[in-house]
Amino acid sequence: MKGLFKGLGVTFKAMTEKKVTTSYPDEPIVMPDRFRGIQHFIPELCIVCNQCARICPTDCITLTGKLNPDPEKKGKVIDTFDINFEICILCDLCTEVCPTEAIVMTNHFELAAYSRDDLFKDREWLHNNNTKVREDNNNIGAPQGGKGGAK
Amino acid sequence: MIRTEELLLNVGPQHPSTHGVFRIIVKLDGEVIIEATPVMGYLHRGTEKLAEDLSYTQIIPYTDRMDYVSAMTNNYVLVHAVETMMELAVPERAEYLRLVVMELQRIASHLVWWGTYLLDIGAMSPFLYAFRDRETIVNLFNELCGARLTYNYMRVGGVKWDASDAWLDKVRDFIPYMEKKLIEYDKLVSGNEIFLARIRGVGAYDAKTAIDYGLSGANLRCTGVDWDIRRAKPYSLYDRFDFDIPLGTNGDCYDRYLIRLEEIRQSLRILTQALQQFPSGGETMGKVPRVIRPPAGEVYVSIESPRGEIGCHIVSKGKQEPYRLKFRRPSFVNLQILPKLLVGETMTNLITILGGIDIVVGEVDC
Amino acid sequence: MSEEKERPSEQAGTEAKQETEAHTADSPPEAPKDPEVVEKNESSAAHETKPSAAPVDPEREAKLKAAAEARAARAAAKAAAEGGQPSAPDATAAPVDPEREAKLKAAAEARAARAAAKAAAEGGTPGGTSASAGETPAEPKAPSPKQPELDELLVHLRTQVGDSAVEEASINELNGHMPMLTVRPEQWLAAAQTLRSTDGGTFDYLRNVSGVDYETHLEVVYHLVSLVTKREATIKVKTNREQPSVPSVTPIWATANWNEREIYDLLGVAFPGHPDLRRIMMPDDWVGHPLRKDYVSLDSEV
Repeated sequence: MKGLFKGLGVTFKAMTEKKVTTSYPDEPIVMPDRFRGIQHFIPELCIVCNQCARICPTDCITLTGKLNPDPEKKGKVIDTFDINFEICILCDLCTEVCPTEAIVMTNHFELAAYSRDDLFKDREWLHNNNTKVREDNNNIGAPQGGKGGAK
Repeated sequence: MIRTEELLLNVGPQHPSTHGVFRIIVKLDGEVIIEATPVMGYLHRGTEKLAEDLSYTQIIPYTDRMDYVSAMTNNYVLVHAVETMMELAVPERAEYLRLVVMELQRIASHLVWWGTYLLDIGAMSPFLYAFRDRETIVNLFNELCGARLTYNYMRVGGVKWDASDAWLDKVRDFIPYMEKKLIEYDKLVSGNEIFLARIRGVGAYDAKTAIDYGLSGANLRCTGVDWDIRRAKPYSLYDRFDFDIPLGTNGDCYDRYLIRLEEIRQSLRILTQALQQFPSGGETMGKVPRVIRPPAGEVYVSIESPRGEIGCHIVSKGKQEPYRLKFRRPSFVNLQILPKLLVGETMTNLITILGGIDIVVGEVDC
Repeated sequence: MSEEKERPSEQAGTEAKQETEAHTADSPPEAPKDPEVVEKNESSAAHETKPSAAPVDPEREAKLKAAAEARAARAAAKAAAEGGQPSAPDATAAPVDPEREAKLKAAAEARAARAAAKAAAEGGTPGGTSASAGETPAEPKAPSPKQPELDELLVHLRTQVGDSAVEEASINELNGHMPMLTVRPEQWLAAAQTLRSTDGGTFDYLRNVSGVDYETHLEVVYHLVSLVTKREATIKVKTNREQPSVPSVTPIWATANWNEREIYDLLGVAFPGHPDLRRIMMPDDWVGHPLRKDYVSLDSEV
């Protein structure tokens, strides 16, 4: 019986400890800066190098580019950019290899939708998703990007 | 006159105590099991086949999802295999970070095991306590690499993110907190008479059976065989630290329980030493070619995950993708002893024994 | 003996070419797949069909040399074909290639020297013609630290099981110099028995059994370790593709039970002597063996 009473002693002591339950969703959870949430896309910076589509492990990024309409400049600009969030695993490899940091993660993680069509995010939506953007990107692909983003 | 008939009972695949989608077809005579046949494959996602089309960096997120309770060790085994093949040197700071993270992961994984095992046996409070303490660790990982379960943290040649000094201090604060909690867990459960009656002497086997069946981790050490890969074939920096390997004597569920709790204590010891020895500066990524192409050949490395020996066998033809990638999953191999142990046991002991083996079905099916 | 081996391997080589070409044609259309990647696949398929001499070591060196040459040719072609593509990621790839090529050449030469030294030392292996493969022997490489272990295993297997049991023996340098032996399927059961015994090395712990599908044949790889002496060994057993069959070692190491079931399920290798050989991962009524290279899945969406 002694073991049982010792155990009960522990549970009674636990009643006096501080509560650790948070009342989400009334109280929103603040994620740390490095959290990998849904992406934010900046079309002006994209150079259509295709690295993000190549590195994606689940092939969820499809993009097309067109020649720069400005006759002075060379290169391509982005035309369409879609991410299929049914299969995106938020692994962060696309932001890691982007040479211009055109695609970055935000801290949004509430992605539930009522229909599967809502999960196919296009360029407009990704561009407008510009709150809570992640600051510390540790972009290994960018030429001047730092290796090891120590805060 | 009472006549009993043999009953064929299906435990799972949807069952709260089978630790995932796992099915056991049990032939019962009353409450005694005559024969048990495990059926698996409900979570088979074809990781090994997919890996033949992906480069090594792309496979790392897939390894997270194999043993999802202990993702850091899965990351490490793949990255270690590629680094062994290419003979890459990993900078010291990166190696220390990897070790700290792997030991924290071991504690988190054993906490999940402890909480769910006791929940299966019938106790509700330990589950909540275990998950409360695991939240601290998972929040630490969230701050470090941006995810709570599927970290995608290690890369070939180093780690992706560096840890700030504030983060290291948080880990240092966690260690005494966890040690205090372990004493509380002991008081709560380990002396409890009901618990002891349910667990002592259940599911016992001897050392020869364990070696024959290729068991690893706590399942092997509960019989007294001193085989821990961190000690026997050290990898990473484990030869720099002073820690004990807990061993059992009887080979029953109680020994496995005690060993795993003791392993948490030893992990805390390793963490203390690692944080003392932590280098103050250094790179987090070594000198890695832009495109990772291991030379042609094959390699097999294995490390000690919380569940046992996890191994990675890569056959490479010199390309960016592996030709064949096979993971030796500890839960898959450890589960083989289940049909043998269950013969003659009662139904209640089935849950006790299955929980004691500590499986994660994502790993059983790969 | 070497001529017999040459003809089926050439035939298998052409089969391999057809299979790999079909494979690249069938590969699922990914979102913009670069022409460079497809080019790489084709050129690697092309050089796999080079006629190979009987023993493996010079064959591997020849392949590596061909791979290095193909890579250099590809790099040159890429540099020439580079148009308006953003060259930032590709430009850094080009200077690495000649460096790696040189390293591969040096490694190939060193391996030739080692093969020559080993052939001279052993002299009894069926692949005794390795020294005359025509490679220039460079400075003799230092013998591997695990070479005596390998020799011990070889001697023991030859005396206990038979002279023809071991097809090849080498040291896998990539894997911490692990002794690697290839055993014939007919003698595998006897060889496993003797490896488990005390004078055979006490390999009591079978760590891992993997099946590999090389397009010409199938192979089952066993990784063993001795808990007593802490020595490791890798044993390979090769079998053909039409009727693959390797004797089951479940009576010797019980852990092989489910491992062999998995290999049977995913690759189709039969294990005569296995107590309960049926599918383990796939549903019981599945047709086909998914992990094979020529497996066509019913659901092309994946």
